[in-house]
Amino acid sequence: MSALAVFRRMHSTRGWLVFGACALVALVLIPLFHSALPPTSPLAVSDRLIALLGKFCCYAITAVALDLIWGFTGMLSLGHGVFFALGGYAMGMYLMLGIGSQGVYRSNLPDFMVFLDWKELPWFWHGFNRFFFALFAALWVPGLLAYVFGYFAFRSRIRGVYFSIITQALTYALMLLFFRNDTGLGGNNGLTDFKQIYGWPLALSQTKRMLYVLTAASLLLTYLLCRYVVTGKMGRVLRAVRDAESRVMFLGYDTRKYKLFAWTFSAVLCGLAGALYVPQVGIINPSELQPSNSIEMAIWAAVGGRGTLVGAALGAFVVNGAKSWFTVALPELWLYVLGALFILVTLFLPEGLVGAFNKLLERRGVKVAVAAGGKSS
Amino acid sequence: MTVSAPTSALSSQEVEDDRPTTEPPTVPLARDTPGRPKSGRRRAVSQERLASLVQGRKAVLCVDNVSVSFDGFKALNELTLILDAGELRCIIGPNGAGKTTLMDCITGKTRPDAGSVYLVGHGEDLIGLSEHEIAALGICRKFQRPTVFGGHSVFENLELALAGNRSVWRALFGGLSKAEAEVIDQTLETIGLKEARDRPAGQLSHGQKQWLEIGMLLAQKPRVLLVDEPIAGMTHAETERTAELLVSLAGERTVVVVEHDMEFVRNIASRVTVLHEGRVLAEGSLDQVQANSEVVEVYLGAGHA
Ligand SMILES: Nc1ncnc2c1ncn2[C@@H]1O[C@H](COP(=O)(O)OP(=O)(O)O)[C@@H](O)[C@H]1O
Ligand SMILES: [Mg+2]
Repeated sequence: MSALAVFRRMHSTRGWLVFGACALVALVLIPLFHSALPPTSPLAVSDRLIALLGKFCCYAITAVALDLIWGFTGMLSLGHGVFFALGGYAMGMYLMLGIGSQGVYRSNLPDFMVFLDWKELPWFWHGFNRFFFALFAALWVPGLLAYVFGYFAFRSRIRGVYFSIITQALTYALMLLFFRNDTGLGGNNGLTDFKQIYGWPLALSQTKRMLYVLTAASLLLTYLLCRYVVTGKMGRVLRAVRDAESRVMFLGYDTRKYKLFAWTFSAVLCGLAGALYVPQVGIINPSELQPSNSIEMAIWAAVGGRGTLVGAALGAFVVNGAKSWFTVALPELWLYVLGALFILVTLFLPEGLVGAFNKLLERRGVKVAVAAGGKSS
Repeated sequence: MTVSAPTSALSSQEVEDDRPTTEPPTVPLARDTPGRPKSGRRRAVSQERLASLVQGRKAVLCVDNVSVSFDGFKALNELTLILDAGELRCIIGPNGAGKTTLMDCITGKTRPDAGSVYLVGHGEDLIGLSEHEIAALGICRKFQRPTVFGGHSVFENLELALAGNRSVWRALFGGLSKAEAEVIDQTLETIGLKEARDRPAGQLSHGQKQWLEIGMLLAQKPRVLLVDEPIAGMTHAETERTAELLVSLAGERTVVVVEHDMEFVRNIASRVTVLHEGRVLAEGSLDQVQANSEVVEVYLGAGHA
């Protein structure tokens, strides 16, 4: 297939223009406003805001990855927090070792190990002093876990709500494991007090900006990769699996392999999101593995609109934007608001914000092509 | 084109199970076949056994002594059936005779308790292969209810069905070749859905869906085509076209049709097999089996003759 054909298949000209505009804002304007504008300017982007946006981009990557598996393949994962956290821990281990002897105990070992009276690094910490080793681990560890888990789940033909339940069980089991001090990942407190990444002090404004830019670029790249997947034959098979899996099998497709691909790919993307998340928020601990965290991820995708990719990313921004506001203004209300939001969306906007937006456009006679599938041949 | 919401795309045509009487498909019970993994127990074909069954006929598929029981009830009882290459075979029998179960066994949806299914020229017993492997060998099936992908366009439905490489790699990086696109366009012509090429299949009429499904089967280039009650719910004109189509399909491939409607059977059949209580009761031309007193008693006696 020629590159041009792929380009055409992924978006219409208008779609690419919108994408370009988003990229311009995210990768050029926001960093520019952050670095160049004085804090008094109305358009100024503070350190706090750019870190927040970076965090939201991580969530959006997760939501897009989840949409691939839920919106397109029809498997609701309530355990994507696992892959996110594993990616986060891998990066956290690198950052932890990057503290060197600047910790409280002035030891070369991470503080929590000194506290536990350990004399040397556990075997699985070796290599994590190197950035790219850790980054790579943040991708392959979640990927491998997803592959093994998916292999057995799909082989046993676990579907629907059963699948959702065992993914919840997975994240719960991992949370218990990571809470233990013996696991060697900081137990309850997790990994924190990071000082620098790749030689850059984390407290530095430039570092924050750089991390944000990397994250925003990752989000755009994630979107493009997923868009490539869903607008190709793979996407058509995945949607067919979602709609009628046994029919696809009777057409001669080994649907397990297709599901396994989507599932593993989705997990790898979540791992990337986790790895980008940790240096920006400065901590990773087992609370990321709480079952409710994974459920929240599903809510992002549902609010934005499943099966559209864009919707999932949008949902992550909208819900987390609201969360940031509420947890400052009315912290005790947030969970109720989230619950109400989910119920309202399920009842009144089953296709999410993007679906509602499309309907609005259609009513005005504009042709929309946000959802994947589009033209064939 | 927009795509309908994930859950609504196939509201009227789930294919998990054809039977309204069994459990809903999402509940995998021990006996409920869609939930049972089938990999693992592969067996080689016994050539002597195959030769003794075939006895010099130009056979393509042999069902050998297959038994299936559901909680003690024998849906198929040591059933043996041999299909010749290129023939058009009708399978008739009263409700509950085991016709659909027979198709389930051949296509790997149900694993029988005993017996074998041989595809001539293939070295392995089909019992023990999974659905997609059997389908890839060229044994294709049309379900009782039309089961097209409602959220996909007509063209995309055919693309999915098109015979060819089904690897994940190909789905990720491959494209549709010119020749393949031509095959699809030809098929569209054959089934008379050229105009509807880019319409979502979910918007087609019932009859058109049946046609699309037959087109999908053709695109799969099957050796054996199993068709379960093709004319249920069709108009008279559609029924006639279907009969013509099935007759024209046989010859190049073996076509097995399960049908209740004797008028229809008379129109198309060369050879008829009567099933009753999981067994072959009679086999021959329609006149022959209608003359068979046992058959008259169990089946035709019930108002058809
Ligand atoms: N999954 C199942 N569980 C229990 N009983 C079944 C199942 N499938 C079929 N049967 C029973 O097996 C018998 C044969 O069914 P079937 O093959 O559908 O008959 P036909 O298609 O000839 O009408 C029926 O009595 C039916 O109730
Ligand atoms: Mg039946």
